[in-house]
Amino acid sequence: MKRLLPVLAFFVAACGSPALVGQELPDLPPITGQELDVAVQTSGKPSVVNVWASWCNPCRSEAPLLTAAQAEFGEQVDFIGVDVQDNQADAKNFISEFGLDFTQYFDRDRSVPEFYGGFGTPITFFFDRTGALVDTHLGVIDERALALGIDEIVNR
Amino acid sequence: MEFTLLWAALTGVAGLWIGVRLWAGEQSDSLFDNLLLAAGVGLLGGRVTAMLAQGLNPVSNIGDLLIVRGGVSTAAAAIFAVGALFLTTGRQIKVLDAAAPAALLGLAGWHLGCLWRSACLGTASNLPWAWSEAGSSITRHPVEIYAAVGMLVGAILVSRLPEQLAMWSGAALSLAAGVRLATEPFRLSLTGGPVGWYTAGVGVGVAVVVVSVVGGRNRRPT
Repeated sequence: MKRLLPVLAFFVAACGSPALVGQELPDLPPITGQELDVAVQTSGKPSVVNVWASWCNPCRSEAPLLTAAQAEFGEQVDFIGVDVQDNQADAKNFISEFGLDFTQYFDRDRSVPEFYGGFGTPITFFFDRTGALVDTHLGVIDERALALGIDEIVNR
Repeated sequence: MEFTLLWAALTGVAGLWIGVRLWAGEQSDSLFDNLLLAAGVGLLGGRVTAMLAQGLNPVSNIGDLLIVRGGVSTAAAAIFAVGALFLTTGRQIKVLDAAAPAALLGLAGWHLGCLWRSACLGTASNLPWAWSEAGSSITRHPVEIYAAVGMLVGAILVSRLPEQLAMWSGAALSLAAGVRLATEPFRLSLTGGPVGWYTAGVGVGVAVVVVSVVGGRNRRPT
């Protein structure tokens, strides 16, 4: 029984309900593909646009990477999140859970990925400082691919 | 999309299979099975460790275990894999020795598998052999090819060492960690890479080789 105690403790900790931490955040502003395109063209900085959803399990895996990338390159690159096919409450909980400290938009109808031609969720778009789309990464992005994409748009 | 990772893994398994056939002698059949099991345990252990480090609970997010692109802790994967191999092969160091050069060749295959994944490139470079992403004018170090060549050379070097208890295991550990350490500056990273772990791997490997040499001398008849 003593041997089982740490295992039981681990499972009890794991099954605890997540804290409802997103409720104090304001609703995410809506955006369309055209509006985002204008934003990345006029920002004067390279941009990384990550399309995600709170119901998307792979998005949970890449969220910590995006947080790390924003901490490392946030002054050189604009990081933008676009939450698709979701509801505001779940989206805000997701943002709080992963500490996503960059601009987030709400896109219930998938206008942004349809505008740029990506399918599925997650998607990561890389734009250079003129707003030109440099690369589209479909599916979960890993650390090397994210770092390479950022290096490409920063050094163009 | 994830199929590119599978192709890279298969390239690693092919390297492992060739290495076992070349260097494991009569143990090769069972050793290959044990090495595959150890690789699986290592991958799982490395993924769980990476999830914990990212603040993701592996029990409440059990489906995320399969999303290996989300990150695998290299050091944890190595520790779990070596531990699993040791336990499943009767806790015999000579079996680890037999597996050591094959493991390096498997790692060479895994790094070479970057070609399937379009993930070979690292920091920018103007060297003649540097190449660029499709549509990019920035040429880069093919860092994963460097690592593949390093692991291949390491496998050959280890197989040429004297067959002394723990000699091949220690040398393979220090060479694998050394290759990763030497190529890390050419990799693009958000976190700097597990350089401390690689350094520790080199140190532990060298220490095992020294112990093996000293132990071998002491055992020689006078």
